[in-house]
Amino acid sequence: MLRSGQLRKAGPGPREEAEPARERALSTGVPALDAALGGGLLRGHLTELVAPPSAGATALFRAALGAVTRSGELCALIDPEDAFDPGGSPEPGQPDPARIDLRRLLWVRPASVALALRAAEIALEARFALVVLDLAAALPASAGPPPARSARDLFHQRTAAPLRQLQSVPAQLSLGERAARECVERIDREVRRDRPRNTGPPRPGGSPWARLSRRAERQGGTLLVIARSPQLGPFSSTTVELSRTDPRWVGHPGTPGRLLSGASGAFAVVRSRRGATSNAIALSLGWGTPS
Amino acid sequence: MRIGCLWIPDLPLVALVRAEPELAALPLALAEPGPSGQLAGNLRVIACTEAAVGVEPGQTLAAAQAICPGLHLRAPSAERTRAAAQAALEAAATLSPRIEAAAPGLVYLDLEGLSALFPDGERSVAQTLAAAAEEVGLRAAAGIAEGKTCALLAARAAAADLLAARALKRPWASSSGEGLAGSRGVQLRGWLSSAFRVIARQEQRAFLAELPLAALEPQPELLHTLQRFGLFTLGELAALPAAAAAARLGPEGALLHRAARGDDSAHLVARALPERFEEGEELEWDASSIEPLLFVWKGLLDRLAQRLSSRGLAASELSLLLRLGSGAWDERQIALSAPTREVGPLLQLLRLEVEARPPGEPVRAVRLSLRASRARGDQLALFGPRGASPAQLEAAVARLSALLGEGRVGQPVAPDTHRPSAAAVTKFDPPPPPLLRDAPVAGDAAAEAFLSARALRPPRSAEVRCDGRGSPVAISDGARLSGRVLSSAGPWRTVAEWWTPQPLALDTFDLEVAGGLLLRASRELASGAWWIEAVYD
Repeated sequence: MLRSGQLRKAGPGPREEAEPARERALSTGVPALDAALGGGLLRGHLTELVAPPSAGATALFRAALGAVTRSGELCALIDPEDAFDPGGSPEPGQPDPARIDLRRLLWVRPASVALALRAAEIALEARFALVVLDLAAALPASAGPPPARSARDLFHQRTAAPLRQLQSVPAQLSLGERAARECVERIDREVRRDRPRNTGPPRPGGSPWARLSRRAERQGGTLLVIARSPQLGPFSSTTVELSRTDPRWVGHPGTPGRLLSGASGAFAVVRSRRGATSNAIALSLGWGTPS
Repeated sequence: MRIGCLWIPDLPLVALVRAEPELAALPLALAEPGPSGQLAGNLRVIACTEAAVGVEPGQTLAAAQAICPGLHLRAPSAERTRAAAQAALEAAATLSPRIEAAAPGLVYLDLEGLSALFPDGERSVAQTLAAAAEEVGLRAAAGIAEGKTCALLAARAAAADLLAARALKRPWASSSGEGLAGSRGVQLRGWLSSAFRVIARQEQRAFLAELPLAALEPQPELLHTLQRFGLFTLGELAALPAAAAAARLGPEGALLHRAARGDDSAHLVARALPERFEEGEELEWDASSIEPLLFVWKGLLDRLAQRLSSRGLAASELSLLLRLGSGAWDERQIALSAPTREVGPLLQLLRLEVEARPPGEPVRAVRLSLRASRARGDQLALFGPRGASPAQLEAAVARLSALLGEGRVGQPVAPDTHRPSAAAVTKFDPPPPPLLRDAPVAGDAAAEAFLSARALRPPRSAEVRCDGRGSPVAISDGARLSGRVLSSAGPWRTVAEWWTPQPLALDTFDLEVAGGLLLRASRELASGAWWIEAVYD
């Protein structure tokens, strides 16, 4: 019973009493975000982090990877953009400020979003405590990565469904909005490309997010999806949105002492199955040691 | 010296039924195939199951099929016989470290010093030896006596007891003092049966005296001479004076006389166990797809896991050998991150290996060979969720590597270089979880994190317009990363690796672009080309 993790099910009290939610949750490494999430990232659920570029999504998921790996649990980072920097510091040779224990991190670099979804499924099946699926594209897909080996293994095509219906793109968009639109277009295009023809309409519950949600729930892993716009729909247990404000500079423009000292943003929990959303909370990004 | 003998009668038949247990209930005869590979005609039966009523070894196949119309015919498998012989060796090694593999399916053990482990006497030693053979799927006979020759004769006597008990379909056991020499017994468990015979020192002469001369397998001429002398049993030969026997029968006769008296001068030649555990299978048809191989591998891995389990070991290295249509062997090494004997992950690793590099020709035979080490126990969390075992992790990483390609999955590593955003991967081999975890740090619910960068690999080429002081005022990569530069900082000069063919000389800037993007861009000093290296996020 201990091996199968059934002890809590056999306990006399309700589940929450035997195992408080805060013990089940994974820390994000940012105390304010943990508090807003009611203890951290829920095990067995999908959490979505939606942010425009330069708003701090990478900083937040690196903080989460640092906290979880330091606690001794295993993490997987699915990184189709090949954007992860193992060093973590802008100065080569300096220690990673997020203190990610790289020995406990599996870095996966799929060549497409469809492969990334499949890789996330495999990582959840392998019981990684935290699987980060980084779909926050900074650029359109490049021709760099080699093509996948076997089309059969790429994806369960029968269950692949359009992730989002595209709306007409307004003529004038900000840079962040445009990036988000292009990300959605690209995911939709790749999933459509990998779906076989004449398979009829998508079945209910057949979307990749439904399958990932079932995997996470069954294996007790947490899937953290980083995206430029909401992707998970009803399968997201918790959605956190980040917004960008201003970078912080010190020193006079054009002088040698001028430095980028950080950036200010804000986050808010806009959806939570626990029912507790939050107002916008200021987020400070910097180089120094957080207090 | 007290010697134990483990003997597997009809080893090819036992090996066949070990691999396919359902054959035990069928009327089955084993015969060496003829030159054409066919099993028919005047070929002779080597061995048969009890269900083949009326069939006996030595009969022609035509006669055997006439006696038993539903008779199934099979040829012995060299791979299976080899694996069964090795399993017998391992079963013997569970009792004594000093063992000698005299022939396939015939193992001698040095039993000196086992009395402390088996205070009930040699009877329990023999029972344990026979049970160890049963555990690895072998029907065996065990004998214990003084010297190798007598131990082998005791094992053969036990095998005869086993045949008799199977004919009567009831197990039995007896001890000395019932008119028969030795303590003996038979255990019947379906096909897997075993028998043992223990000959005490003082009973050895009596046990040997009843046996025919042919039991010691003398040369035919010597046997004929002895029979002309009117000697038919070992007892009659042993009664002759030693000097007279040697004078009339020569050196060979003298040795036979000593053996008949129970004086065995043959020493046990102990050898180390083979380092690798092997199981193999010859396919009836050439396999050109993965599915039949999966079926065969599953059976081989099940048997290997059984053998490892009986010795408390786990696989630390796995080799797959495929004999191809041309007769050549295709050998693959599969590294395991941690010792395991879980069949599922091992099977998956084999599948991924062959799917990644399919053999160029159809496969005729397969062999799995593994090196064993002590199994590593993992401490599971008492209340938390169960994590992946090392074998499951290995299988997951192998699946991902097969799906995405080599070099795209692994532990991230920051190389020792000054090049911006350099990264590499190495083998994912996480350490075990810490025994004590860090306690959460109490404090304010701070909303602070470290500014991080998303690397652009490869860096994006850009056009940059600078003002008179060299500071960027506009940047364009021809796509989205374009706009007016609102603010900038830098340059920070990096000159490194000048001792390599690709020296590094860069001026790096932090840029805030209209629209809110924070970029890190560099200008090569040699060429003046601009690159966007990363986006702060």
